[in-house]
Amino acid sequence: MKHFHSRMMAGAALAVMLASAPAVFAATPNDQLVIGTSLAQVLSLDPQQGTEVKTQEILANTYDRLISFDSKTNELQGQLAESWDVDDTGITFHLRDAQFASGNPVTANDVVFSLVRLFKLDQSAAAGLKTFGYNAETAESLITAVDEKTVRIDLTDDVVPEALLYRLSGGVGSVVDSVEVMKHVVNNDYGNEWLRTNTAGSGPFVLRRWSPNDIVMLEANPNFWGEPSTLKRVLFRHVPESQAARLMLERGDIDIANALTAADVRYFDGKEGFVIDQVKTGGFYALAMNAGHEPLDNPLVRQAIAYGIDYQGIGDAILGPYGRPRNVPVPEDWEGAIPNPDWSLQPEKARALLAEAGYPNGFSLTIKTIAQAPRVDMATAIQANLAEIGITARVIQGNGSDIVAAHRARDFDLLIPQTSAADPTALGALDNFTNNPDNSVEANNAGNFVWRSDWDIPELNTLRQEANRERDPATRLEMARQLQEDFIAASPAVFPMFERFEPIVVNARVEGYSGHPWSLTRVDAVTKTDAN
Amino acid sequence: MKELSLIALGKRVGQLLVSLFALLVVTFVIGRLLPTDPVGAIVGELADPATYAAMRERLGLDLPIYQQFWIYFTSLLRGDLGTAILTGNPVAQDLSQAFPATFELATLAVLISTLIGVPLGMLAAFFRDSWFDQFARVISLIGHSIPVFWFGIVGLVIFYAVLSWVGGPGRVDVYLEGLVEPRTGLLLVDSLLAGDMEVFWNAVHHIILPACILAYSAMAYITRMTRSFTLEQLNQDYVVAARAKGASDLRIVIGHLLPNIAVQLVTVLAISYGGLLEGAVVTEVVFSWPGIGQYMTNALMIGDMNAVLAATLIIGIIFMALNFLSDMAYLLLDPRTREVTA
Repeated sequence: MKHFHSRMMAGAALAVMLASAPAVFAATPNDQLVIGTSLAQVLSLDPQQGTEVKTQEILANTYDRLISFDSKTNELQGQLAESWDVDDTGITFHLRDAQFASGNPVTANDVVFSLVRLFKLDQSAAAGLKTFGYNAETAESLITAVDEKTVRIDLTDDVVPEALLYRLSGGVGSVVDSVEVMKHVVNNDYGNEWLRTNTAGSGPFVLRRWSPNDIVMLEANPNFWGEPSTLKRVLFRHVPESQAARLMLERGDIDIANALTAADVRYFDGKEGFVIDQVKTGGFYALAMNAGHEPLDNPLVRQAIAYGIDYQGIGDAILGPYGRPRNVPVPEDWEGAIPNPDWSLQPEKARALLAEAGYPNGFSLTIKTIAQAPRVDMATAIQANLAEIGITARVIQGNGSDIVAAHRARDFDLLIPQTSAADPTALGALDNFTNNPDNSVEANNAGNFVWRSDWDIPELNTLRQEANRERDPATRLEMARQLQEDFIAASPAVFPMFERFEPIVVNARVEGYSGHPWSLTRVDAVTKTDAN
Repeated sequence: MKELSLIALGKRVGQLLVSLFALLVVTFVIGRLLPTDPVGAIVGELADPATYAAMRERLGLDLPIYQQFWIYFTSLLRGDLGTAILTGNPVAQDLSQAFPATFELATLAVLISTLIGVPLGMLAAFFRDSWFDQFARVISLIGHSIPVFWFGIVGLVIFYAVLSWVGGPGRVDVYLEGLVEPRTGLLLVDSLLAGDMEVFWNAVHHIILPACILAYSAMAYITRMTRSFTLEQLNQDYVVAARAKGASDLRIVIGHLLPNIAVQLVTVLAISYGGLLEGAVVTEVVFSWPGIGQYMTNALMIGDMNAVLAATLIIGIIFMALNFLSDMAYLLLDPRTREVTA
């Protein structure tokens, strides 16, 4: 047994050695910003393709757009455009002197190339501008280079300058280095294969490494036109498990966590050394009803459901930092928003409406939802609420792609989608809820939320189109108010339940980080103080 | 005799190939029947139908399923695993990055579980029904019945957040990422080859907790099996005879017992190892470990079947190879089987 004992001793020695190995624990260095996030949905870093929320922050730091908007005031600011002039027929942008990370100068041709590329690739990213009449056929004539440093974008009949400017300030408006991209074109793909995993921008950082589901590493761009950042590296680390991210943030191994569950965000509420940045995205958690399915085609039934949901209770118990109740499709704080209707939980009224509609004993239906917090918890709560008014709901959970596929195919009764504002104006917010030019099956307008709900709204759609064409801001705002009133009165088949917030927890060492509503948060001005 | 062995070997290889083909067919069919939408994942939720249809055609998803399989299978025979939707990279390239991370973790885990589980199981058998046996039983039962997820989180809270004994999620602290050139993909090996001891020790601190947690779940099985193999042998005449001759316990264990249970143990260890390679999924999620489990899970979520099929194939091949090798080891370790086969 002597040998046995000596082996035991050797094992113990190894354990001690491990525990006392060189100190490897240190707070993140001051010149590196580490963001704990979920990279699971980051499928493409091509700015004219990638629309996923977590992709936007990477794009915002590696590319410039012509313009951006302030994360708190929504005010438009120049980025590559030093200034712009608006006239009756279009907008003229004057570019600043800037270089791409490659050293190539940023020219008007790059801007035109990038925007035309958006429509030629013609993916989901192009949807926002296509509703304004810009598309693969019209783009080349409407978007032109006047000279090396001047770009002109002509207005279509369907757009006002303000809306166009806001849409250009999105990640899809990122300007790519056309010379660099053209070197990597394969099979007429506009460099898409290459740009999915590489960057070719003029932003403050360049992509050094992207290891899917692991890490995205950005390094300072020495050719950046703005003030050089104090940060040498920005690292996005994939931390899919919220509790693990919470521990890492607490220990100082990450500086920012933006994919925490409500419970883990609450943990940091009031905790010294951490700040919660509650970013109001302008989007909503909505309830989509299929108006093509009986009995949801009956407006009385839809009203009954609207009165049968405990928005306040769900908001308090489930959403917490992720949102607040709101049934009007314009966020409460935005200019032109009307007050919320009284759609508080009123079971008696809901039952009476069902009886009036011819369903005194209720009926059965399904609720489809992506199996993700907080939506799956919302679905369960709505199921319980509906049971109170006699509607038996069965919750069907699925992953992102199968639920979205069902939504696109109109294959659902109730479904809980989340929306984003097309631009930070009342009309931009209304777009998801009042836009349906052709409700026919043949139109197959599967990218459109109202079409998916089979909700035919010719009057609302006409009013929305007229409002989008109205050049006078005051009249346009009045029309937006009217649109909201009409929307509520129409017993909508797809309506907002909650404003959608993105809570971000930031270590107090980090200064100057201000979460952007579209996740286009630039970090070049962020600084870090020494760890305690 | 030699010819007979070759025929037996050929038969085994043939069986392996048929099994792999069957695995491929089943995974392919299940993958295509799942209501996932890889097209939607690429073009985005708001894309219009024309864009959607064009991408569907580009991915070949508009073809009949047998034709899709044939295209996939013939590409596979040429060594082309296709391109992953998830990353835009060739699947082979992705796997060459993801697999070493899992391999490193699972290998360390199986080493730890063997080094602890085998002695624990033997001691439990030696001291059958004593407090030690009960203790070993309880320890094994806990490892076997409590989810790895729970252990992972609790382990992180205690050893990472409170005691600071180990590193947090990830293979290495984030600011040390990318400092070592990946030669083998095994970070512990690569950092040693590069002579970068800071990265090495940092990686050790990061791998030790997930490896121990994985090892614990595997150890439960190894301990129970070792105990039962040992008990079986302890009643054998040769052990009684060795005791009668006055041999020490250690001599009985090393000289007599171990060689006799080695054959069965090798099979148990091979199964455990295979299980660890494919069973590290949950551990990989909790510990943000960029391995094959996490890769496959994310691929499955968006219906990226090229990635799923290739990962399944790799795991299938490893499982079968481990079985094959344990059979070979069986032949080497047990002279009787050699006689029979010959």
